[in-house]
Amino acid sequence: MSTANTPTIAVASVKKNFGQVKAVQDVSFEVYPGEIFGLLGPNGAGKTTTIRMMLDIFRPDGGSVSILGGELSEAKKQRIGYMPEDRGLYKDLKLEPTLIFLATLKGMDAAAAKKELEGWLKRLDLYEHRDKKIQELSKGMQQKAQLIATLLHNPDIIIVDEPFSGLDPVNTRLAKEIIEEQRQAGKTIIMSTHQMYQVEALCQRIVLINNGRTVLYGEVDDIKRNFAGNAVELEGHGDFASLPGVLEIRSQNGTHHLALAPGTNPQDIFRTLATRDGIKVERFEIAEPSLDDIFVAVVKEGKR
Amino acid sequence: MRNIFIVLKHEFLTTIRKPSFWVTTFLLPGMIILLNIGTQVVSQDAFSNEDQLIPGTDLSAQAENITHPQVIGYVDEADILTQLPPSLPAGLLQAYATETAANDALNAGEISQYYLIPADFLQEHNVLLVSQEFSPFNVGSEDFFNYVIAYGLTGDEMEAAVYTNPTFSVYSHDVAPQELSNGNDNGSPLTFFVPYAVMFIFFFLITMSSGFMLQSVTREKENRTAEVLLLSLRPRELMLGKVLGLSMVALLQMLFWFGGGMIALDRVQQMLDMLSTFTLPAGFIVWGIGFFVLGYLLYASVMGAVGALAPNAREGGQFTFVILLPLMIPLWLNYVFIESPNGTLATALSLIPFTAPVSMMTRMVATTVPVWQILVSLGGLALTTYVLVLIAARFFRADTLLSDASFHWKRIFTELRRA
Repeated sequence: MSTANTPTIAVASVKKNFGQVKAVQDVSFEVYPGEIFGLLGPNGAGKTTTIRMMLDIFRPDGGSVSILGGELSEAKKQRIGYMPEDRGLYKDLKLEPTLIFLATLKGMDAAAAKKELEGWLKRLDLYEHRDKKIQELSKGMQQKAQLIATLLHNPDIIIVDEPFSGLDPVNTRLAKEIIEEQRQAGKTIIMSTHQMYQVEALCQRIVLINNGRTVLYGEVDDIKRNFAGNAVELEGHGDFASLPGVLEIRSQNGTHHLALAPGTNPQDIFRTLATRDGIKVERFEIAEPSLDDIFVAVVKEGKR
Repeated sequence: MRNIFIVLKHEFLTTIRKPSFWVTTFLLPGMIILLNIGTQVVSQDAFSNEDQLIPGTDLSAQAENITHPQVIGYVDEADILTQLPPSLPAGLLQAYATETAANDALNAGEISQYYLIPADFLQEHNVLLVSQEFSPFNVGSEDFFNYVIAYGLTGDEMEAAVYTNPTFSVYSHDVAPQELSNGNDNGSPLTFFVPYAVMFIFFFLITMSSGFMLQSVTREKENRTAEVLLLSLRPRELMLGKVLGLSMVALLQMLFWFGGGMIALDRVQQMLDMLSTFTLPAGFIVWGIGFFVLGYLLYASVMGAVGALAPNAREGGQFTFVILLPLMIPLWLNYVFIESPNGTLATALSLIPFTAPVSMMTRMVATTVPVWQILVSLGGLALTTYVLVLIAARFFRADTLLSDASFHWKRIFTELRRA
């Protein structure tokens, strides 16, 4: 864990209700400088509301949020770069003036912003498109523009919601490189995404929110170790999906990956396979669960 | 303060760079002017007999003032035009022996039209008019020829004139006390035109600029830009920046309209001379700016609140008509301000804050308004604007700006209670 002792962001038991809707009931986590932290959860779990409470867009009904050692002040806001899931750019305005406008709101001088912007636009292949209206850009280009808007003012805290949405593999790799560079520069990064393989590749620690509550929190490796035994991998033929205790099955090149419900033992699965007619097993082993498996297992458990 | 200025500048620049701004600033007034000119051209053509001679007066003297005297032919098969009115200018009427001859003259362009008095005229009382162009409003010419026929039958100009128009020499004079009209000539067309123009200018300025406010807020909601902006500035800073930025846009629009109007008038010396005789009340510009700024703030804050609550421009736009309805009332009742600017209705409309910006300015150019009424109107408008800006600021919150909830009347009260 590449963390310092003092968290940049500390969220403690925050709550938020919208009328009768309890959007967030009890969420807690800490994020440290120099780490990429995964904020995960199914749709409607309360991730966006939690982010908005962290950013003081919404006031929490309970609990507390500490940013850079205290309450979020106007000066501290300028040290944050936020990339919402829905692209927050003016579609009918030109790219360059829009990005400069957003940077000036973050305290940058317009001339300095323009100078800094040139490098970003060139790096992300948008320089030739700087005079185009944002709505004329492709979805991937708009996503890259949003990434520039988040980073242009060189923030200390970076919060990105689905940063790879709409990006092709080449640009996804470029975006990952940029995020990793920011981490190496000591920035505090929170990444919210449903792409679990990206979380496994980038994040050191995660929090999983479900139904407005923290259900998993810690280092990715520890969490995976704790969930070991909750997945098996096998080769063979037959109807593996109907086995009791199997939450989900993924098949690829003759290998079947079975995610198991909490409480289901791989030995139980092995015994069931041995007694069932019409099933032929050529290979059976206990698999280290992927974050995807863990996500599915935890979320499905929450629905019971 | 810095953020407010940045938003102000952004709103101003982005709005004036939009084609819609230039359309509303130039195209719309241009269309109104073109429509006006077109109407004048059509009416000038249709009423081409404005150069007509008025029966019963000195026709020779009138003929000298006619710009384009046109020869009118006639074929008298009934043989009644044995004599023509002595005051008739020589050569104005040209007799033809047959309809064929008259028709040839018409085709040759020697005459503009001719009358055929059939042989049975005294029994049927019908006269046929043949003209090169169809002129549906060509009534005056017929009156004139009726007069000529009446003279042919009676042999007396006065008697013929009375037959044609029994009241031609009656003039009306008002005996009731007249409205004070800033010392302007009640008979001048400007007495009607200037208040009407002021009414329209104030109406358009306030509706357009407050409409820009609605567009601006809903656009940020639809684009989800509000979420990014709210991390950099407070909702009220955003609102204030927008209101001030768009007020600059409105002032620029005002400058274009008044400046452009003055340049256009400068080319029409006659109009400028007429305007120089029209007296505006003392401090009109100061009062005008006061009523405009407060009126704009009132409607822009309401539109801003609607934009904050509506999920998109379409839903917000559905409420625009209802919100702007009070501003339209003076337009619908414009005759009240021209005919009786100090009457009860005009006075009441100019004192009600929602109708005051347009109504009071119109009254001020139409008549002399007591100063206490102007002050009461301005004070009431200022107070109402202040209250509405405070209420609108309450709607301008993060949760409303980021909400996709549909907009309806009930929600206004719900959100107001939550604020």
